[in-house]
Amino acid sequence: MSAPESSDESLLARYRAGDGPAFEILYARHRQGLYRFLLGLSGKSELAEEVYQDTWLSLIRSTSQPQGRANFRTWLYQIARNRLIDHWRKHGIHNPLHDSYDEQIHALSDDAADPEQLLSLSRDNQRLEAALQNLPADQREVFLLRAHGDLDLSQIATLTETPLETVKSRLRYAQQKLRRLLAEEVLT
Amino acid sequence: MTDARPTPEDQVLKHYREHATSEPPAHLDAFLLAAAQREVPVHKPGLWKRWVQACQKPRWQVAFASLVGVALMLALVQRTEEQLPSYDFAPAPEVSAPVAKKEASSSVARSLAAPAGAMSAPAPAAPMADFAAPAQSESINAEMADEAKVSKRSAIAPAKSIDNQLREVIRLQKAGQAQAAADLMATLHKRFPKENLTARLKDLQKN
Repeated sequence: MSAPESSDESLLARYRAGDGPAFEILYARHRQGLYRFLLGLSGKSELAEEVYQDTWLSLIRSTSQPQGRANFRTWLYQIARNRLIDHWRKHGIHNPLHDSYDEQIHALSDDAADPEQLLSLSRDNQRLEAALQNLPADQREVFLLRAHGDLDLSQIATLTETPLETVKSRLRYAQQKLRRLLAEEVLT
Repeated sequence: MTDARPTPEDQVLKHYREHATSEPPAHLDAFLLAAAQREVPVHKPGLWKRWVQACQKPRWQVAFASLVGVALMLALVQRTEEQLPSYDFAPAPEVSAPVAKKEASSSVARSLAAPAGAMSAPAPAAPMADFAAPAQSESINAEMADEAKVSKRSAIAPAKSIDNQLREVIRLQKAGQAQAAADLMATLHKRFPKENLTARLKDLQKN
């Protein structure tokens, strides 16, 4: 019989109380998802690494805990997202997560997609990455939070401070476009 | 019944999860884990726990034991010092009390205390020391060799103080207080029976 798995929040509390190994468990749980989220969102490995490091260091050095209804996962991704936005601001880059995007227009072309194409989605990493970068930034963000952060739609809505319905539609359009792009790549 | 099969959109999510290969670099993992270990918040135990932990370490055990040993020694030394003087001054009141009583009533007593300011040599407490010195020497035990040395040193003092007393007699005589001078002389004869006080008085009168 295995011992019940500790929650992220209890592991963080244990680390704050001086239990070093608790952090290792917490880190192992979230390292991959957080890194993939940042890499997908920034599109640059150097920037992703820098923000990834800053995020974990701020968590290590901070004494704060997730507040209110936020759980550890939401809190961690919130920190990472804010750090990335700060970086963009510092370098005079307009926040791409708030671009004006007509979701209705982009959704139209995917309605006739054949579900059978799913069987032949590209597995090539470069194509997967290229398709992801082809998405508008706000759709890409929602898709990455769902795919790698494993956050549900309401958590994503809270984190991005976006209405739930908007989050739902962004995710749907992102998935449709990715399906089309990857299938097209295979078919051509 | 609802369809449990994943939608095509969900399959895209799954596809990405399965085929994503990017990982944080190993050096970043090592750096962050080291930083976490280095900066792990220090959870300070309570005062009592720290005390117990310290007591379990041999070097602190030795230190505490030494400290207790020194404290015990100091306590013993202090007690011994407090007990010593009790027998040393015990006989003194027998001799000095009647003298003091007698002198308090007579004018001689006043004259003994008064000239201290008039004469330049002796300190104000000197007359009392004169009376105490023989009493002390009488009370010395044979075993108290150290105390005997002290009394030998103090025996030099009476020679000077006799002269002072005799000068006081002369002063009283010159002031017309013959009775007081005679009383003081009589007291001095009693205290210093072996001294030739009359001859010394004459010498002083000559000077």
